[in-house]
Amino acid sequence: MAENSVIGSATVVSGHVRGAGALEILGRVEGDVTVTGDVVVGPTGRVRGNISAAELTVSGQVQGNLRGSEVVLVERGARVVGDIASPRIGIAPGALVRGHVQTDGEPALAQASFVKRPAVAARVGAPQPVPAALLKAPHKAEPRRLEPARSPPASVAAEAESAPVRPVKAEPRRPPPPVVPVISKGTKAKKKKSRD
Amino acid sequence: MAGTVIGEGLTIEGDITGDEEIVINGNLRGRLTTTDAVTVGSTAIVGADITGTSLSVAGQVTGDVTASERVDIQAGGKLIGHIKAARFTIADGASFKGNVDMEV
Repeated sequence: MAENSVIGSATVVSGHVRGAGALEILGRVEGDVTVTGDVVVGPTGRVRGNISAAELTVSGQVQGNLRGSEVVLVERGARVVGDIASPRIGIAPGALVRGHVQTDGEPALAQASFVKRPAVAARVGAPQPVPAALLKAPHKAEPRRLEPARSPPASVAAEAESAPVRPVKAEPRRPPPPVVPVISKGTKAKKKKSRD
Repeated sequence: MAGTVIGEGLTIEGDITGDEEIVINGNLRGRLTTTDAVTVGSTAIVGADITGTSLSVAGQVTGDVTASERVDIQAGGKLIGHIKAARFTIADGASFKGNVDMEV
């Protein structure tokens, strides 16, 4: 049996790490990590290299590509610079990721659809028998359908009202007309003449 | 609890440098340097020069060993390489080939 491995916080590994079993990285790894089991990069962990694992959880810093055959989880406080590829990917709020992220592979999608399909069928199936049992139910359903039909004309009217508003809004954008003094040359003299 | 554990089934090709205890039950090819104790388990296969305070070998080690305190080869352990340590024991049933320098 493959036992759990730990790379401690005060340890630096410069080289490749391969093999089976779970691995927890709390220190530094400068090289690729290829493990068939689960890998956890702890908050103090720093990896410069590609990581490949079944279930990969990152809380520390990784500069390299992440590949998970099952799932990749990037936790809060993590910093990932590199591409992420896995059937399931989780990036928590507070995590920093820079790179291409791609969910691929069928197993996760197949699991998700199996979970959703019965749930949807149960929701649709439950209301249907009730209107079928009550004869008045179809009549009640018809006015409900009309209600949404009435609302579109209301929205059209709203659009028609809003349509003339648009040119009005355009007018204030013009600069104000120039203020020209009304008094022309010789008006004072004309006033004096009128007094006389 | 040991700071670093290289479990059975895990292989490291490269150098390990640390300031904490290191336990190796897997494979290591490269170099191992620490300021604390090193334990090589019975399932381990190590091809590396080892530097530390003390070394206990129950598996296979090929490489030179420098320990500031002591080196112990347990029964079933195998060590091929030169040893430089103040204290050195070889248990009954252990294998060893190499020079010993006890800094006399």
